[in-house]
Amino acid sequence: MADLLSRGWRPVLRFRSERVRWYTSVASFPPAVPTWSHPPSSAQISDEEINRLAARPRRPVTLADLVKHGRPPLSPNALLSSANYTLALLPPRLAHRIQCLRNLPFIVVSNPHISQIYNNYLHSISTLLPYHKRHITTLQEEEQFTETMADLVHTHNNTIPILARGFLECRKYITPSEVTKFLEQHLRARIGTRLIAEQHIALHMASQPGSYEEKGVSPYIGVIDTALRPAEIIRNCDAFVSEICELKYGVRPSLILNGEVDAEFAHVPVHLEYIVTELLKNAYRATVESGNERKPVEITIAAAPNAPHTKLEALKSLLVSQDTSHDFSQEGLTEYCNTEGDAIPLNSAAQSITIRIRDQGGGIAPDILPNIWAFNFTTFSNNRTSNADNDNIDALNAISGSGGGNSSSIAGLGYGLPLGRAYAEYFGGGIAVESLYGFGTDVYLSLQGVGKIS
Amino acid sequence: MTLPLKLFQNQCEGSIIQYWFYKEQSGERTSASAKRCCKAARPSPWRPASILDDWVDRPIRPISLRQLFFFGRTLTEERLISSANYVRSELPTRLAHRLRDMQKLPYVVVTNPHLSTVYELYYKAFETLRRVPLIKTVEENDEYCKAISGTLKEHLAVIPNLVIGVLECQDLVQPHIMEDFINTMLRARISRRVIAEQHLALTETFDSPWHFPEKKSESEFVGEVLLRCNARDIVKQSGELAQQLSRKATNSDSAIPEIKISGHLEATFPYIQSHLEYIVGELLRNSILAVMEKNHGTCSKPPPIEVLICEAPQHVVIRISDQGGGIPRDIVPYLWSFNKGPKNAARLRNLEKVPAMAATVDELQTSSARQGASSNHALPEKRRDSSLSSLSSRPPNLRLGMGLPMSRVYAEYWAGSLQLHSLEGYGVDVFLQISKLGNQNEQINTRASIDAV
Repeated sequence: MADLLSRGWRPVLRFRSERVRWYTSVASFPPAVPTWSHPPSSAQISDEEINRLAARPRRPVTLADLVKHGRPPLSPNALLSSANYTLALLPPRLAHRIQCLRNLPFIVVSNPHISQIYNNYLHSISTLLPYHKRHITTLQEEEQFTETMADLVHTHNNTIPILARGFLECRKYITPSEVTKFLEQHLRARIGTRLIAEQHIALHMASQPGSYEEKGVSPYIGVIDTALRPAEIIRNCDAFVSEICELKYGVRPSLILNGEVDAEFAHVPVHLEYIVTELLKNAYRATVESGNERKPVEITIAAAPNAPHTKLEALKSLLVSQDTSHDFSQEGLTEYCNTEGDAIPLNSAAQSITIRIRDQGGGIAPDILPNIWAFNFTTFSNNRTSNADNDNIDALNAISGSGGGNSSSIAGLGYGLPLGRAYAEYFGGGIAVESLYGFGTDVYLSLQGVGKIS
Repeated sequence: MTLPLKLFQNQCEGSIIQYWFYKEQSGERTSASAKRCCKAARPSPWRPASILDDWVDRPIRPISLRQLFFFGRTLTEERLISSANYVRSELPTRLAHRLRDMQKLPYVVVTNPHLSTVYELYYKAFETLRRVPLIKTVEENDEYCKAISGTLKEHLAVIPNLVIGVLECQDLVQPHIMEDFINTMLRARISRRVIAEQHLALTETFDSPWHFPEKKSESEFVGEVLLRCNARDIVKQSGELAQQLSRKATNSDSAIPEIKISGHLEATFPYIQSHLEYIVGELLRNSILAVMEKNHGTCSKPPPIEVLICEAPQHVVIRISDQGGGIPRDIVPYLWSFNKGPKNAARLRNLEKVPAMAATVDELQTSSARQGASSNHALPEKRRDSSLSSLSSRPPNLRLGMGLPMSRVYAEYWAGSLQLHSLEGYGVDVFLQISKLGNQNEQINTRASIDAV
């Protein structure tokens, strides 16, 4: 995940270094209590405060919300309103995550990895406390707030590998289905939280004098590329994945790109990049390992004509329940659908893109097929996580991950598909897999863009 | 319209004056829909429920495809008679269950002219078949076969009537109730027709002069079951039929897309050929139409429809990919539904043309089209009229909106599946998965549980 954030398409902010690690203060407790034994009590936020924040409705986030402040450079007023929008959304989400973590079994949260994540959340919500009772009114406050956001993004960089390791260590005490349920929710919540924070940071950076003057009009609004060409992303990912493929196997499968290769839509490029990389890794590995490296991988891009079905209508028909993994609550959804319908340009038709990735790598065995969406932490061993490079099966993953610093520790965990699907579904898309066992696999990735942005 | 009239008749049979008064009143208000189906407006007679109760209490004895063809492989007189008696007790029992299902629906639904036609057809069949005494000789069996085939023919119009009825009643009950009802009805109908047609086919084989009671070669039919059904042949044959019908409808040759078949072309499996032909035909017809519509107005050659056959140890997958522009996303949620969706009015109009066609012009068109389509290969031409033939060979532009859900019912009936993925703006991929039956016990269990509805 870290590599997603540090790719060069947007300016990198200097992160504040003096992060407070609450649990280190517990270390001196006699007699030799391990630092992780219990979530620390030194958090500067009361339980009542967390409960109060968690009870607030959590509103959904759509692409339209993220672009509603307009194209950068933003005027001071627009920047302030972006900051206040961010400030309104984040605390309830963080508080809800804290509650969900607290509801895990004691023995699980006592695990050093899980408790590290728990503490990260406590830390992040306490940094937001000075702001959430008032509005941000001056540019100076906004600047400070942006730094807080940068700290938030930085603090939670490695959440997924750390959580994965923690749950792996606790697999005796919690069932796979509980873990999958928790992770599904947590990952989706994390996508939203990060995106909201990153969007404000990016808007802030793009609005600073000196960052825009020489470049002319950029298609970016924050982290969203309003003229994103899927074909370009696919070619980049192909170059990246086939390189490591050649490094590992000595061969690279060829790629055929057809359909509407000129299609453009508005979406988050890092999301698409992550998903396509994961899907290509699967396709290439299957193609090479089945000895069919001469058979090309075929990618077809389909662009739907503008559909009358709006995002708002789609949201209205949703029902939030225990079993569905949304990062918003039913009250938040109701509030959202009832109040903001006119303020957001949701009624303009949204472009939607479907990408079909076809390989001839032999398909997925019927006994594996039901498990492809699970966070299959039970199938890998401790050995495998600590030493992923030695594992032949997922060697491709291991190598591909090593470029992004710590992200290599998630490689080979089999998180690619479920995480990719979480990203695709976040803005109303999806991933479907059809296996032709003995022949190949077809993967359908659909993504929903946003309507015309002036 | 017919509802209050019927109520009236049943409850106050004596008071003629009131009755006539009411009839006149209602006559003025006769709506278009009542006129359309005036034939079914006749109220159903009162029948004692106790006889049906007895039959509903009897359990259904499911049968697997494997049992079906092993039964028929070495056909003796004794086996034929026991097959006859199995069918004799099974058909009325299964009909009784369906009749009870219908009786439990709201009154307003069953009095719908189309559904009441179905109800009457079922009741008549039930009354006829339950009175058949134990079959002991081949002659008695022949008599029985005549009765069954008559009933089968009479029931050809059931599917369109059922679908129209369900569409007309969509506002009267909760959608999922109707959806469950029609799915159960169709599945049960398939199972009844399979055992009936299988028995007819066995009898025909037994009666044919060159029948010897010995093991048959693998390439043949056992009754209705084709032991070595070749996916490629079926795709080719159904494809040619669909192309031919489209050609007839448009009078142009260049606009018809080519059908390319690739993959494991030798794959075979036991299946009921008419079922597979219907499913594949329905899917190819959708694809051809979509491609033609998308390509309309351009002079370029239409992009081909690509069919891939993939054989795995336990199943065969047929993937049909077209470049017909995909399915608009507002229709996608309703693709598998019999009674919901935005195009219901057009569907109703088109459906009403089917019952008439099932009896007349269409059957002629069917046989000629079929002969043309199958003259190129040496596929066996022996076949009976099935309710599917009138659907398989209807003009391509007659859209009923039930091809996909019906195909899924048929595919699932034999423990397979049907999936569709739309690349909106580009095309559609459909995946038909067929279980290779007869080599796994659990599939018999799946079948049995489906059969038991």
